Amino acid sequence: MTASNPAAVSRRSTAFIGPILIFLLAIFLYVLAGRLDENPMEGQLGAFFWPKAILVLLMAGCGLKVLESFFAFGKGVAETGLEGPPAEIKNGKLAAMIVMVIAAVVCVENIGFPIANFLFLLGFMRIAGLKKKLPLFLISFLGTIVLLYLFVKVVYLPLPKGQWFFDDLTVAIYRALRII
Amino acid sequence: MIDQIYLLGGGLLNVFDPVNFSMILLGLVVGVLAGALPGITMLNAIVLVLPFTYLMGIVPSLLLMTSVYCGGVFGGSITGILFNIPGDPMNVPTTWEGYRLNKKGFVSKALGMAIMCSAIGGFLSAAIMTVASPPFAKVALSFSSFEYFAVVFLGLASVVVIGTKSIGSALISLFIGMFLGTIGMDDIYGVPRFTFGSRIMETGINFVTVLIGLFAIGEVLEQLSMKKGSEEIARVRPKTTLPTVKEIWDLRYTILRGLGIGAVIGAIPGTGATVASFVSYGVEKQVSKNPEKFGTGVWEGLAASETSINGSTGGAMIPLLTLGIPGSGATAVMMGAFLLHGIQPGPLLFTKSPESVYTIFAGMLVCNLVMIFAGLICAKFFSELMRVPENILSAFIISFCLLGAFALRNDMTDVWFMAIFGIVGYFMRRYDLPSPPMILGLILGPLAEKYFLTSMIGCGNDWTIFFCRPVSGSLMVISIGLLIMPFIRNLIQKGRKAARP
Repeated sequence: MTASNPAAVSRRSTAFIGPILIFLLAIFLYVLAGRLDENPMEGQLGAFFWPKAILVLLMAGCGLKVLESFFAFGKGVAETGLEGPPAEIKNGKLAAMIVMVIAAVVCVENIGFPIANFLFLLGFMRIAGLKKKLPLFLISFLGTIVLLYLFVKVVYLPLPKGQWFFDDLTVAIYRALRII
Repeated sequence: MIDQIYLLGGGLLNVFDPVNFSMILLGLVVGVLAGALPGITMLNAIVLVLPFTYLMGIVPSLLLMTSVYCGGVFGGSITGILFNIPGDPMNVPTTWEGYRLNKKGFVSKALGMAIMCSAIGGFLSAAIMTVASPPFAKVALSFSSFEYFAVVFLGLASVVVIGTKSIGSALISLFIGMFLGTIGMDDIYGVPRFTFGSRIMETGINFVTVLIGLFAIGEVLEQLSMKKGSEEIARVRPKTTLPTVKEIWDLRYTILRGLGIGAVIGAIPGTGATVASFVSYGVEKQVSKNPEKFGTGVWEGLAASETSINGSTGGAMIPLLTLGIPGSGATAVMMGAFLLHGIQPGPLLFTKSPESVYTIFAGMLVCNLVMIFAGLICAKFFSELMRVPENILSAFIISFCLLGAFALRNDMTDVWFMAIFGIVGYFMRRYDLPSPPMILGLILGPLAEKYFLTSMIGCGNDWTIFFCRPVSGSLMVISIGLLIMPFIRNLIQKGRKAARP
């Protein structure tokens, strides 16, 4: 890896930018903690002493990391944990999976766990590479039913039923499955 | 001594009563399964079985809860080794080594080693508990916030051995975790911190949500997003192979160190198996001749962590039985079971109902031996899951994570935190920011803060007090030694390199 290598330059940038961003965030939070800090009782350190101390240590950690990266790159040896060729990443698939995870949380809250989980399993397994439609549908459907029986019927976990029309729909699903 | 042996013999006879023995078997299976499922902790399982003990006598109910406890602390290691998902925070160090051993093709032996080390640690710890309960508890009773802070500081100092590649990255991750631990209502002054006016944030960030997110979701995203990935990997069903006597003998010093650390830390109220496993792993790495290999799949790391986890169970029972002080959440629930049956744990328990006490001792001894079989059965069950294609398994892992996060407090906020930390966990992996120190900081940070501030209130903000007391001073010196050892080692290595012609 040489300094002129574009990948090396990119990784060097990452090694410096990350700690610097965290350092700036720590400064912001430190200032915020100072504003929030009410006068503690005399002789006591107060509620914000500990977080402020942690933030100072975090800033010091960022400084240490920058120094580590500087000396490691200076020597031409990547001892920063960035050594070795980076693994090839399917960025489109990754983005789709992240969206699915976020969407699952939003949907569980709004349309209830049974429907949201069925749709999530269907979508996630499809993105992950399961292409046959029948197994995809059956696994999602049966998997959701098993989870419902296990967590609602056996463990008595009050899973989110969703809002508006979906609340009634979830109850209807529970009744159809004889869960309640 | 003769009386003790006589009572222990009576306890063993009680344990092998069919009803009592079946409670041990049932408790072990429930404990191992609950411990293995992310989001359902060993403590949850003990709480869940508590209502079932109402109709039982004191002996079967305590045996049931004790076996759930022993099985639960081990269970999380199975999913940690198989799927990189530790069932409980205490199983995190096991996961670091166990999952790497799995990836190297040693999954059968890793599972077997984990079961065997847990059983040995638990059995010997129960033996220590039986012999040394009263004097040991007296020492722990003399501990105050200064000593507690020193113990937690020792756990935090172990971060330097966790950060294998870059101490700077490990420290950043640790301090982010410690900062996350400060979010919410402050316990000592009752002031909300960094909540931004949100009432939901006042309860703070539950470390289990972070744990599930960083380890499970992060792992799934990483595995599935890599090219030439999972579809091409042949999925095999691993068997569990118990280690040979020679393999165990080769690890005898590791096991003894893990046992000692587990038993001592377990007996200190407020610490428990999580601190024991981190400290034991850290110490093992420090004494190892090849510390740089830790984190890549090392038997010593796995054995140290597993032995100390179950080694802490006997230790944790000592203050409960002899002083009536529960040292952990699990023993607190067990204390509740004692009280439900009209028995007050404490010194008088040994004179008023010694049969019950020695039945518990005998129960723990037997329970840890039976756990080998329970562990094998449960490991086989979870190993079957390895045959499921990764694209299906990954989707269900995320579903379980959603359910596990929600089950913590029946609150969608925890699910949001879990999802966010899952995505953060992926990018931490991608940019080589280690996630274990963050977990360590989030778990131990609030404890460190509580003990530090309590100590400061008591001694007029004089921080040198930690070095002025014999126990806390010794622990602080050991911790500082741990912190500076990597730098000294680097200097020595550089010196040696320079000295070479």
